[in-house]
Amino acid sequence: MIRCIEVSLAIPDNEARTALATLRRLGVAVAALERADLYRCDVADADAERLVDTLRDCETVYNPSKHLMRVREDDRPGPGEVWIDEIGSGARPGGGPLTIAGRTLAGVRSLERFTAWRLFSTREEPAGAELVTAATETLLCNSAFQKAIL
Amino acid sequence: MSARAGILIFPGTNSEEETLRACHAAGLAAELVHWNADLDAVRAFDAYVLPGGFAYEDRVRAGAIAAHDRLMTAVREGAAAGKPVLGICNGAQILLESGLAPGLDGSTRAQAGFTRNAPLGKYRSTHVHVKLAVAPGRCAITAQLPAGAVLPAWASHGEGRLAAQPRILERLEREERVAFVYCDAAGNVSGAAVPNGSALGAAALTNARGNVLALMPHPERDAWNFMHHDAARERARGDAAAMLASSGGIALFAGLAAAVRR
Repeated sequence: MIRCIEVSLAIPDNEARTALATLRRLGVAVAALERADLYRCDVADADAERLVDTLRDCETVYNPSKHLMRVREDDRPGPGEVWIDEIGSGARPGGGPLTIAGRTLAGVRSLERFTAWRLFSTREEPAGAELVTAATETLLCNSAFQKAIL
Repeated sequence: MSARAGILIFPGTNSEEETLRACHAAGLAAELVHWNADLDAVRAFDAYVLPGGFAYEDRVRAGAIAAHDRLMTAVREGAAAGKPVLGICNGAQILLESGLAPGLDGSTRAQAGFTRNAPLGKYRSTHVHVKLAVAPGRCAITAQLPAGAVLPAWASHGEGRLAAQPRILERLEREERVAFVYCDAAGNVSGAAVPNGSALGAAALTNARGNVLALMPHPERDAWNFMHHDAARERARGDAAAMLASSGGIALFAGLAAAVRR
């Protein structure tokens, strides 16, 4: 099954604030911007719950003092979102067990990691495709070596 | 008034002092310029150096935010006017993010990037050598180097691997944009000398006009023998004058100084 786990900051996200300020300065009218790390895994059914625990126990990708973690219901970008990944990063060198921060991910057949940006045209309204595309092309993605999934 | 180079400091830049010293040692009048400097004052410089560090904490991507900083307005204008522009490490990342290098077809968008080292994506600090891979005159900053010059430097980065679409890489080779490649101390070019999996073994890119050079490793950190890695430093041990003698990295700054005066 596909499990998509989102890790975001519970504390103020300075990177998102910098990106928001830069986009506005460049004329992309984004009202608000959120950022999260996404781990999209193809995992054996029996190991799905253990995967969440592994990530939760990991002190590198998740720190309960400053992060929020949730299992997403969807494994595709939602409204106002763009997911950024490095081209070719999905390769599994050597075919050995997948790990995150040294933790073996039991039962995981593939793992993709994305940076998810969630854009808003007002404080509550997810941005439309045109605005997301503008932000992606202007700043959020360097298409020379990254791919954007809208 | 003699020609002056502005060494640009963004929030997070950390190699400005050694870069300034290397410029001064090469006889180049250079000054530190902070990100809040008056833009017209920045425009008055005759050359620009973007030193290493972590501008804006590498937020979004290494160099991505700084590429859009207001200071870069002056750099873009200067580059278009033919002023020499040298970016080192994070400065090189900024130049690629800004599109100033390689700038194929006059594009001002990023066409390549220095991204996470291969194969493990980890930071590396290691002594390297780079070899001039184009005719010296192809780039203003290398014009006074001998053909095939080998310079020592320190690679110190987590994102130094040149990456671009295959059609872009093919053009970088064909249009002589790869100014330096990694090599061993004898100048032999091989995959083993590349510390980061960089495409084409590239350590530096230049633009069409040859006045912009984006160089990943740090020549300013191998400007004097006491900074050097191998036998030259050992031979100089106990001899202050020999320790403070110039090592190979200073040659690039001498080249920059010559380009500024030209």
